Amino acid sequence: MAALQQSRSVKSTIPWVTTVARLVLGGVLIVAGALKIGNPSDSVVAVKAYQLLPDSIAVSVGYILPILEIVVGVLLVVGLLTRVAAVIAGLLMFAFVFGIAWAWANGLRIDCGCFGGGGQLGKGQEPTYLLDIVRDFGLVLLGAWTVRFPPGRFALDGALGLGGDSADDEEDDR
Amino acid sequence: MTKGERTKTKSAREKIKEQQSAARARDKRRQMVTYVTAGAVAVAAVGLGWLYAASTSQSEEAAAALPPINVQPDGSVVMAKSGVTKPVVDIYEDFQCPACKEAERVSGQTFKNLAAEGKAKVVYHPITIFSQEPTRSNSVRAGNAARCIADGKQWMAFHDLLFKNQPAETVEGFTNDQLVAWGKEAGVTAPGFEQCVTSGKHAQAQLSYSEKIMTEQKLNSTPTVKLNGTEIDNAVVFSPQQLREAITKAAK
Repeated sequence: MAALQQSRSVKSTIPWVTTVARLVLGGVLIVAGALKIGNPSDSVVAVKAYQLLPDSIAVSVGYILPILEIVVGVLLVVGLLTRVAAVIAGLLMFAFVFGIAWAWANGLRIDCGCFGGGGQLGKGQEPTYLLDIVRDFGLVLLGAWTVRFPPGRFALDGALGLGGDSADDEEDDR
Repeated sequence: MTKGERTKTKSAREKIKEQQSAARARDKRRQMVTYVTAGAVAVAAVGLGWLYAASTSQSEEAAAALPPINVQPDGSVVMAKSGVTKPVVDIYEDFQCPACKEAERVSGQTFKNLAAEGKAKVVYHPITIFSQEPTRSNSVRAGNAARCIADGKQWMAFHDLLFKNQPAETVEGFTNDQLVAWGKEAGVTAPGFEQCVTSGKHAQAQLSYSEKIMTEQKLNSTPTVKLNGTEIDNAVVFSPQQLREAITKAAK
């Protein structure tokens, strides 16, 4: 009896955890995108600083990244197309982890450009690669959780009947 | 229960089943439509944002021939139609700085066009802002080489080549051999050029000029663009259309 109750309470917690994951991941993406969107060239310079992509592709990526972050962030926060948005957000964060690790391994001294700015660091500034990687990897995990248990409470997906919202309506998991 | 009643019940059950499955199919369709619509709107938003970003950064085409360009004794370079003395646009840039390369790529032509149209007096100040290696030495070599060129037209061609061929910030670049070759490509024929580049004749001048300018103008990053002494916001510098508007307004 006690075990049953426990498993029930765990089950009812899962959607709430998803909601928190969505809000954190979405919020971070919106902030990151909003800080960059006013000046597309800033984000182009930041992307180029990683020296990972050929210049012409880096320019396009720099232009699209801020708006992509904002749109995916908004989708996550309102819980619309939750699973798809979480997959994209997770992949984005994973790409950032890879990029930062690459910069670190190659001894580039750059600001990650995560929240606007970016590019080469001035004198006296030290890159904070480890912190950036840990943070972004945590966000990858939040994305993975959301992909596994969408869409959580307070999600438009639930309200619109796109994938079950409540704990007793488990469309595909378990 | 008679046989007839039983079949009746059966068919009623079947009917309900049919209705249920029809309702389910309707729901599925409705969900599909909602899903696809939301997806399409999201993709369209990303696409529009992308186009907008690309269009604000759209560079101008070269409209006219370059206006007269004069290399000053202190190493700065003035580009203006004769008689045009204001508004003054000061560009502080470092040949090794990636953001300066980006500014040149996006807005370089706008500065040239505005000067050619007589709407501004544009002054280039190539400085060395880097304090660490290898970027500092790269920048000093490039700055020295630019100072070895006395002809304005050649200087501008060289300036453009330097930004186009800017090395990465982690490697030694702008080697003297490269600089000499690019000088020739820019049309430099003066006999002393090669010797001037390889000997680092103006390296000290480049450094002291940079020091002086950074203190006087209170610069903490490049590129910095000033319009009649007031810094132009970087978002404007990187948007050719807004940049043109800001400078044209000051010309009135």
